[in-house]
Amino acid sequence: MSLTSARGLSIFVMDSLLIGGGNPPRVVVILALVSCAGLWGSRASASPALMQEHCLACHNEEKAKGKFELGFLGDTPTEENLEHWLDSLDYVVSEEMPPEDESELTPGQREELIDFLESKVKAFEKTMEFTVTPKPRRLNNREFANSVRDVLLLENVGTNVPMDNLIGDALHHGFDTHGETLSFSRFHLEQYIEAVRKVLDATIMSGERPKSRRIQIPAERIVRQSLNQNVGRPDRHLKEGVFDFLDPRLAAQFPDFGEAPAAGYYKINIKATGTDRGIYDADDSGFYHGDPIQLSVHLGDQVTTYDLPDDEVIELELTEWLGEGTVIELRNPTDAFTMRGNGNFKFQYALTPTHLKKYDSSRYEELVSIIEASPDKNSRKGIDTWHNWTKYWMGARPQVFSVEIEGPFYHAWPPKRQVALLGVDPSAEKAIEILRPIANRAWRRPVQDGELQKIVDMVQLEAETMGDIEALKEGIVAILVAPSFLMTDLAEVPAGNRFASKLSYLLRSTTPRQELREKVGAGRLASFDAVREEIAEAFESGGADEFLNEFPFAWLELNDINFMAPDPEHYRFYHKKRVSEDMVNEVLAFFENAVRENLPLPEFLSADYSFINADLASIYGVKDVPEDSVLRKYQFTDGRRGGLLGMGAFLTATADSLSTSPIHRAVFVMENFMGIHPTPPPPDVIITEPDVRNATTIKEVLAAHTEDANCASCHETIDPWGYAFENFDPTGAWRDVYVVPASLETDEEGELIPGEGKPTTVEIDASARFRNGIEYQGIVEFRRQILTEGNRDRFVRCFIEKLLTYANGAEPEEIDFVAIDRILEKSAECNYRIVDTISAVVDSELFRGE
Amino acid sequence: MHTDRRTFIKGIGGTLALPFLESNLIAGATTPTRFLVVANPFGMHPEHFFPKDFGKDFTMSRTLKSLEWLKDRISILSHTDHNMVSGHGREIAFLSGVLPADAQAFPEKNMSVDQAVARHTGAHVRYPSLNVGLGSGVRMSWTANGVENALISDPQRLYDHLFLNLTRKQKKARRDMLTRNESILDAVGDQLSAVARQGSKADAGRLDQYQTAIRELENTLAGRQHWIGQDKPSFDISHHYEGAATIHNEYHAFFDMISFAFETDMTRVATIAFPTNLSYTDVSGVTRSYHGTTHNGKMEDVTDELVAIESFQIEQLSRCLKRLDSIPEPNAEGSLLDHTVVLFGSGMGYGGTHSNRNLPVFVAGGGFDHLGHVDTRNESGENMALCNLFVTLMQRFGIERDEFNLSTGAFDLRYG
Repeated sequence: MSLTSARGLSIFVMDSLLIGGGNPPRVVVILALVSCAGLWGSRASASPALMQEHCLACHNEEKAKGKFELGFLGDTPTEENLEHWLDSLDYVVSEEMPPEDESELTPGQREELIDFLESKVKAFEKTMEFTVTPKPRRLNNREFANSVRDVLLLENVGTNVPMDNLIGDALHHGFDTHGETLSFSRFHLEQYIEAVRKVLDATIMSGERPKSRRIQIPAERIVRQSLNQNVGRPDRHLKEGVFDFLDPRLAAQFPDFGEAPAAGYYKINIKATGTDRGIYDADDSGFYHGDPIQLSVHLGDQVTTYDLPDDEVIELELTEWLGEGTVIELRNPTDAFTMRGNGNFKFQYALTPTHLKKYDSSRYEELVSIIEASPDKNSRKGIDTWHNWTKYWMGARPQVFSVEIEGPFYHAWPPKRQVALLGVDPSAEKAIEILRPIANRAWRRPVQDGELQKIVDMVQLEAETMGDIEALKEGIVAILVAPSFLMTDLAEVPAGNRFASKLSYLLRSTTPRQELREKVGAGRLASFDAVREEIAEAFESGGADEFLNEFPFAWLELNDINFMAPDPEHYRFYHKKRVSEDMVNEVLAFFENAVRENLPLPEFLSADYSFINADLASIYGVKDVPEDSVLRKYQFTDGRRGGLLGMGAFLTATADSLSTSPIHRAVFVMENFMGIHPTPPPPDVIITEPDVRNATTIKEVLAAHTEDANCASCHETIDPWGYAFENFDPTGAWRDVYVVPASLETDEEGELIPGEGKPTTVEIDASARFRNGIEYQGIVEFRRQILTEGNRDRFVRCFIEKLLTYANGAEPEEIDFVAIDRILEKSAECNYRIVDTISAVVDSELFRGE
Repeated sequence: MHTDRRTFIKGIGGTLALPFLESNLIAGATTPTRFLVVANPFGMHPEHFFPKDFGKDFTMSRTLKSLEWLKDRISILSHTDHNMVSGHGREIAFLSGVLPADAQAFPEKNMSVDQAVARHTGAHVRYPSLNVGLGSGVRMSWTANGVENALISDPQRLYDHLFLNLTRKQKKARRDMLTRNESILDAVGDQLSAVARQGSKADAGRLDQYQTAIRELENTLAGRQHWIGQDKPSFDISHHYEGAATIHNEYHAFFDMISFAFETDMTRVATIAFPTNLSYTDVSGVTRSYHGTTHNGKMEDVTDELVAIESFQIEQLSRCLKRLDSIPEPNAEGSLLDHTVVLFGSGMGYGGTHSNRNLPVFVAGGGFDHLGHVDTRNESGENMALCNLFVTLMQRFGIERDEFNLSTGAFDLRYG
């Protein structure tokens, strides 16, 4: 069992012994004493006596509150009962046990009990033979694509979407590196073969040198393709000589070019400008005046976005290697122009009369008279209806005047990328020399003598029918679908190579570079300081950008953010402005800043700042931020936000679509921030459906949890971690009351009927009390109260465990407790700074596996 | 690369569907029994799904109204489940009763019942099973290795997969490719043995998966060599995409292709999944998202939308079953439907409560002596293990076994 799933312990409070139930309680205690006497009675140490006095009343054979009996601990930790020792330690450290209202330990006694439990655990772990075995796992799709790219010395895997056919990776609590979860089947193997072939076909070319051509595409020859479902809408070109992105949900396509006829370099020249910035009010259009007007160039699934200047035609020139079959497309990447009506763009046309009536009434009158005279006038819905204004839209947008595409061309023939792999004059004869360096990179270790023989034989046999170059490509396919490439962390890999490989996959999700392999080989990454320097340098140089994007995303399970998206009817802004993207970016920006500044980890919880833009400011109810989409550091003064606990990403991901769930939020905070893993409800529990027709607070609905002793034993521990967030609605916006939409009429059977009456409001109660007696009235106090030393250590430990999970592809186990403690100590020495803590993890035996 | 819809229609228009049985190509074919599984991710609003009364003479419920015509050939099972905790994520165990996380405890991992049947029927047909989803899907089909079967979720891809014939040149290319892949597997297998020799015990499990993958792929490659030579039946789908792309068209395309694959005996096992993220706003009265309506807080208008979505799902299934029922089974009595075991259900009871108790399940067709609406609880009022039903269904296919994963017996549903 892994450490993170071990926390099954939970404690009941209502104990018939104390409230004087009908049964003779003494008998129970004596029985339990008898059963434990051999273990605890004879010991001289005071601590077992302390435990008998303070724990046994609830945790005896008969009662076993929270499914825990003191007897489980035996004399000393063993492999079987270690989880109980660790749980006991955690509960005593956090002062959640014994419950404050049951039994009180003096601070001295608590200290003594902690020392006792800790020393027993440590003594036990010393006796264990400590070996860390590597846990091989399949590369996930991300790592596979990056690794293929780097083994083949390419800038990307290709614009011909070669990875399109891969089977999606399943996640384990957000992690896509989890070995158990990354399964392997014949489907996988077949898709890998196909994907590698596609990459190679766009890299190594065996035929004639393809001819280049130059295609001029004037605005009139650019075709618009709608990106929403309403396909086949007729073209509406409104201006001569310009392709105008009047509807942001359309893409510009080039039938004259079609698709790339062969792999090669293509020069793409685009004449474009931004226009009409700042005419409409940002509240109406959703386009912030401070934002750049942008144009995205899509080459297959690779997207590059450019900022355009206002009313000045510039030439964007790209030279890119395109795979055969690549389609080129231009788009307007804005998230604006959905603020009216149901979000359909067409309602934006009505912004013009709104705007002109406010700022330029004479122009308005002028246009009205033109529209009145027009035969197309829509008179049913009044002159200001959107139908009448389609010609006069003035939203900020890109315009494209012409596009020129030239290619394919080559700086040399055969192309350099091919020569880099096969040499100038490739032949199947030389297969071994050609394939060895490729296999050496791919397998992340030196290739053994004879190991490639079978592949070489295949290449030489196939060369007779398909030619040398195609046969060599088959050899490369074999290298890239071999287990030594597809599986990381195989035991066959020498320790040094494995460390280089692991570090590279941790930071960059790809095969290690030669320099790194050499450095490790020369023993230059053997110390904490060297590791720290290497990692700091990687962060500095952009060599760990993949980690900065992937790890926080996985840790906070952000893939789930829209699994239960806020209701689109009630939370329109959230959907119209694609706020979930801003929320995810807020998390990433906060994390990246922490790394850049090497901040202490506890600041993730205690910070009074975060990184927000105008969209997030509007959710968070903040006024003084610039009107644009750039995330900037912002200091909150209300004590409610800042750090992870105030982030929309967390608050939204843990809410239902119409309501919030303190339990979901509590479990999220416990699992992902505190490293506590509450037991899921037993299978026979019936969960009542919240009935929003009644004016009940979620707290009243959940009262059952604490009334039923069966539920209470866990929920008294869980719930206080969640109630504090009740003032945050499903999008993470602040609210003082619940709004109950319907009236409370009942039908003849007494069932409530939703009516037309005014919504009622119900006061929110965001207070709760932890089992250790700490109480809070709302989020502000909660945030202050949880900043204890115990919780700080829990948070840092949790971070370490999450990082180990990401890096090792498996959650740490109970037996790793002491090793994790050592990482924690190292982290503490460095004031819990994040880069140092990451380095301590990498330098630990749990990562090195030595 | 996506082909646009126009090419799609052009490529297939005008062919007259004249089904012939693919498996006639293989000597000794007998009357087939088929298995159609249809599932959704959120279960069904229970008050509207389950009929109020039990027995053969029950009154059809609101959600199941469109199946009135099938009343004497359906068994609706109340009170079955897999004994699962409440919450999402259990629906992936619908067809096995076993979550992937617990699969190691079972010899056949979390193999789903469709795959258990496909292993039995697969040898006779071009495709052992078809697993499709509308747009995306519900994860529910798993192999005996505990690996999920990839879904086909694009109608174009399904069409190509099922009906697109290869040109002579393509056939040669395909054959060459299969041969090349066989060589690669051969070379890679060699590398694997070298790795395995040096590997530790810890490596063994994951390398086993790799080994199995190679072996299974080798087998399919050999099988595919046979089928490349045979032309596929032709199918006219041109009318499916006339006019706007609606949810109706989407459902029709998938159901029609699957039933045609049954008619022509290209496969005998198919699963169809309705995903969570499909938009049903084309259905009259529906404005909200599917998932949103399950969390209706008992508000009547939102619940109505949910029931409209669920009724729509059943109507689409009903339409497909009518079609199967209109075709007589060649060389046997009854219609295709009488030789097709239809299982509808979900691994989630009802999304509104996240309950995984009392799963909405019914069996139709398949030549059973159907029971109408059955209360499956035992004398002490405990729900029946849904795996009991799966045992019965497997036996219907002549699979000789009396247990499956969590089964406690077999469900008493007779046939013949």
